[in-house]
Amino acid sequence: MGEIKPPPQASGAPVSQPSEYLSDDPRDIGWVKQNVPCQTACPAGTNVPVYIREIIERQFGRSYETNREANVLPGVLGRICSRPCEAQCRHGWPGNGEPVAICHLKRVAADLKDAGHRITERLYSPTGKRVAIVGAGPAGVAAAHDLSLLGHDVVIFEREERAGGMLRYGIPEFRLPRGTLDIELHNALRLGVQVRTGVEIGNKDGQMPMSSLQQEFDAVLLATGCMAASPLPLLGEWEQRELRSMEGVEYGLDFLMEMHRGVEKTVGKRVAVVGAGFTALDCARVAARLGAQEVTIHIRTAEEYIPVAPEEIFEAKREGVRIKGLRTPVGLTVEGNRLTGIEFVQNRLGGWRSNGRRQAIPIEGSEFHEPCDTIIIAIGQQTANDYLGTKLELDRWGNVRIGVDGMTSHKGLFAAGDYVSGASTVVQAVGHGRQVAKRIDAWLMGRERRKQVVRIVPVDKPLRERAFDFITRQHMPTAPLDERMRDGKHEVELGLDEKLAFEEAKRCYLCNLRYQIDVDRCIFCRACIEVAPRNCIKLVRGVEIDEQGAYGKLLETKEWNQVGAIWIDNNECIRCGQCYTACPVQCISISRCELTEVEI
Amino acid sequence: MAEAAKKTRHHVIVGSGVTGSQAAETLRECEPDARITILTLSSLLFYNRYDLPKVFRGHRDWREYLVYPATYYRDWKINVRRCSRVAGVDARRRVIALDHKEEVHFDTLLVASGGRGYIPEDLTDFRPLMHGFSSYTEAMVVANEVPKKGHVIMLGGDMIGLDLARTLLDTRHRVTLVAGPYTFWPHEVDDDERPALIAALEKMGIEVLEGADAGGIVSIEQGAPGLSARRVLFRDGTELYGDVVMPFFGLSPSVEFMLGSGVDIERGLLVDPALRTTTEGIYAAGDVCQIWSDAERRYRFYYGWKNVRAMGDLAARNITGDDKPWAPAQDEKLHISGDGKLQSPFWEYA
Repeated sequence: MGEIKPPPQASGAPVSQPSEYLSDDPRDIGWVKQNVPCQTACPAGTNVPVYIREIIERQFGRSYETNREANVLPGVLGRICSRPCEAQCRHGWPGNGEPVAICHLKRVAADLKDAGHRITERLYSPTGKRVAIVGAGPAGVAAAHDLSLLGHDVVIFEREERAGGMLRYGIPEFRLPRGTLDIELHNALRLGVQVRTGVEIGNKDGQMPMSSLQQEFDAVLLATGCMAASPLPLLGEWEQRELRSMEGVEYGLDFLMEMHRGVEKTVGKRVAVVGAGFTALDCARVAARLGAQEVTIHIRTAEEYIPVAPEEIFEAKREGVRIKGLRTPVGLTVEGNRLTGIEFVQNRLGGWRSNGRRQAIPIEGSEFHEPCDTIIIAIGQQTANDYLGTKLELDRWGNVRIGVDGMTSHKGLFAAGDYVSGASTVVQAVGHGRQVAKRIDAWLMGRERRKQVVRIVPVDKPLRERAFDFITRQHMPTAPLDERMRDGKHEVELGLDEKLAFEEAKRCYLCNLRYQIDVDRCIFCRACIEVAPRNCIKLVRGVEIDEQGAYGKLLETKEWNQVGAIWIDNNECIRCGQCYTACPVQCISISRCELTEVEI
Repeated sequence: MAEAAKKTRHHVIVGSGVTGSQAAETLRECEPDARITILTLSSLLFYNRYDLPKVFRGHRDWREYLVYPATYYRDWKINVRRCSRVAGVDARRRVIALDHKEEVHFDTLLVASGGRGYIPEDLTDFRPLMHGFSSYTEAMVVANEVPKKGHVIMLGGDMIGLDLARTLLDTRHRVTLVAGPYTFWPHEVDDDERPALIAALEKMGIEVLEGADAGGIVSIEQGAPGLSARRVLFRDGTELYGDVVMPFFGLSPSVEFMLGSGVDIERGLLVDPALRTTTEGIYAAGDVCQIWSDAERRYRFYYGWKNVRAMGDLAARNITGDDKPWAPAQDEKLHISGDGKLQSPFWEYA
């Protein structure tokens, strides 16, 4: 690990850079990745601080377009995203309060933009290359959009009657209104993408063989997601029994998909949902709407570890759903072929799994029984590969293995989204779809056509006020219980209005603002240190550079004879602008640093 | 551990209720020279919350509720830091972060933060129109709001609420109970026992309305001028008018500040029979913890004054070197007395 002493300014550029410029210096790219944790956490790489700033400026259309550059479904993800960005938001770090409602603000951009808003797309001229995509879910749609922008002819093959995949068939309308979904899918696919619905890929009669796609198209992308429900691993006599044929047994994803295909679903009075993800929660809330008197979600660990936004859990509880933890189903009780209850074993919490989830360890001899007349099994989904008619290399979880080029073990056959990663989230699928689209383009064209750079724009004054730091998180208004339960499709979250959105947007620290002290002009008066609200301005003798060439650890010192510089620790900085205002010699500069892509 | 090191240990207790205060007392007995600090959100020193119904009997001076005078803490060298909200616990660094950004180091930590009144999520919108009863301040507010012979609508029930109902009836108030699954909390009552227990409540003078029979509560509203101050509207169109609406749906453990600390939590902090959490040096006792029961093969809560006081004592003894398991200190069965009234061991305190 190298060391610079005294520390230079980023990318060696002068602090008072007169105008906007682009940098591919690894220190600048590294700076953004380290300092804008929301964008780094977003699998699609959404430029969060910029779109929030645009909401403050009441430029909702522009904010929507900023979102669309990374994710073609802002109105959809503004409603149902798993919000990995909020988990990393600097405002949620210890001592800083609650994270900014990034997801709700994304929805604001979508909901409050003008009617007839103009969409901007960066179109490339036609390449003459043809790409087939199997699956019109979030990964397939995101990839189709990007590939069509890049000039390729794209055809999506979808087995269901309509595009949308899990978004349309797996997520209830009370979380995702179909009008919003339809508009955004239409916008994503209208640049010449053909969608052939009701076409199933496979080798049976009436199905289209994969081999014909490979012959007809220059590249094929598999994005069929994880559509096979994972079986419930029970013990003893139940280990080998087929549960599907039993009265009162439903598999979560199938239950939701059938309902969204138009099948009238019913549940018993006492419903037990087994599972801890969004599907489990959705099934429980649907069951409550279908008239179940008692709906309980049974989880292996504890509520703290459910990978679902706390607001969703709260709303489910408001609708009468209960959550019971530390239990694993080991068997069922039945009368004839009808379910009457579940046998559980009590768990204790164990260590952490490699996927970041908590382990549950069954306690021997602690079995107990809970009566129910419907069980909805929602413990996860798996990929199905039998339609391929060819063997692909799989990883140890049974998912298709792809290389860094996004390609499977078959030349010209790519894969993206949950079909590769296993069941994940919509935003991960969108992000991965885009990544693989870029790889397909590079493979088809024989070269990368775009690269990542940092756009650095000088900012002439702090964009925040210290008072903004004390605004508390604005809560999402929701529909009254009676309304939402009366009509199972009534959207629960109503969206922030302009006033709430403005207040919430002001909370964003705008982490993409880089505050720097020009060492040559600094008179070491310490005025900035005295006004800093946190320990964010430090006396340093040097700064380490990490393996990626980005700034690493600050080498602090309290000895004046060792001080190389006064350095703003952007990790601690909450962009309040106090130092900038206090500096008597104007040696502090502010620049906005944005990751973007340019043509090579 | 060396005696010298023991003397200088800093035992921190979060919570100044029955459990925390008993633990502090026992800790002092066991380690006369250790540092003991109680962190409490309360502005008052330890007072007995179980005595709060007395506000309706005219006992309105906060000094009457204090269990010990301020000099007790000085004499026993127990540092009580009031109005201190714990924001988080860093178990690895053994540091408690207070809301005002101060850090307090500890050698051992006993979490005895208790529980607060649980309000079912579907009623949370109406929180501003309901009166809680979990602190002296809340008790005084409600005592001032209810007129003489006024009408109190109790939602849920639970043994805290029903204890208050007994006092309200004694002091010639009218009590209507909207009964439901929490009516006899924390007692576990079978369906076939319930009618007799409800009848016992009615015999005591409580007007009982089964909430489910009326389709559940749709809304709670402010009464119109000239009418009672509150209106509770049910799905079947029936309505109740009263001077105050008080929710009693059992307790929800106060564990928020422990999230992310590394200590295992389900609903409460999970502890072994010796009241140790899953993190070394951190114990939990009282209404905040779920104790592993070898007999029942599950984690469970134990409520009641005698239980939580015994837990405080046991935790302190185990912190200072013992390794004794928890044994419940009170009966858990509801009774109907000879005169047909309800009797709960939960009401036996002090």
